[in-house]
Amino acid sequence: MSTPGTVVFADTNENDQLSLVDILDHVLNQGVIVRGNLVLSLAGVDLVYIGLDVILTSIETAMRHMNATSGLSDEAS
Amino acid sequence: MYLYGVTQLRPATPIVQVGVDLQSAVEAIGSEGVTCWVSRVSAEEFENSLAKNMENLDWLATASVAHQRAIQAISQHSDILPARFGTVFRDERSLADHIQKHLKQISRDFKRVKDADEWGIKIFESAPTPNPVPKVSSGKEYLMAKAALLPKKQPAQIPAEELKHFEGALSDIAEESAPAGRISSGQRGLLFQTSLLIKRANRQRLETALKKFSREWAETRRIECTGPWPPYSFVSQDSKPQ
Repeated sequence: MSTPGTVVFADTNENDQLSLVDILDHVLNQGVIVRGNLVLSLAGVDLVYIGLDVILTSIETAMRHMNATSGLSDEAS
Repeated sequence: MYLYGVTQLRPATPIVQVGVDLQSAVEAIGSEGVTCWVSRVSAEEFENSLAKNMENLDWLATASVAHQRAIQAISQHSDILPARFGTVFRDERSLADHIQKHLKQISRDFKRVKDADEWGIKIFESAPTPNPVPKVSSGKEYLMAKAALLPKKQPAQIPAEELKHFEGALSDIAEESAPAGRISSGQRGLLFQTSLLIKRANRQRLETALKKFSREWAETRRIECTGPWPPYSFVSQDSKPQ
């Protein structure tokens, strides 16, 4: 929990500080007009959010896997 | 062939980056004087089954994180116009046709996002000062006491005057703003959110302004700022291929 009165800054160049929901917000914000609506209207925004919360663990695993396979990217950036 | 985005320049050294499927390698293809960043993905996964896969949150989350990482890696070298998530072309020819058709729009978009990044701003209702959970005699009472400490599902609004002041301060710094957060709009305690296009030279001004509001709101609200993002929200729909 942050100290009151301070801004929480999360730098995209340090991926581990970002929450998945922020990534989806930006990547899918304008990205998926037709399919995005379909996804959201099927699940409802709240449900999507809850769903994302629930699957965070599997994402962490996926991201660890990505770090292992794409260590190259971290060096390149 | 999955498209990540288009840049004006091509870096002198190749970018080594895994693609959206965590298997293919991102590569650069020159077309009509711009550089297209693609990787060769399975047509089954990204074309035939894309709509179905996007309803699978595990798949969607992994792929969109990989998509973000690839674009972020490219954007370290050059301003990028990010493609819409899930943009797939059959071959180099169809990609080149698309680029040629949208060249004017692409060139306008490069001017629009020049030396600028997208930033995400969210304001949350501050969680109440953590009161210790009172002594309880059952699991149910404990959960009820904990629930009472959570921010309300429908938080209080920011008074219009204060919000106007905040948005005014940001619009002095940002080139543009865009509505944000279709995914996270259900987050608890979220009062306001926006995406801003900010020139890199103005990054410090953004931080200073956010810190000032954060101090003023210390007791009531919390500001979260994420970035720098590639300008996902500031590329014309026309130049984003379907």
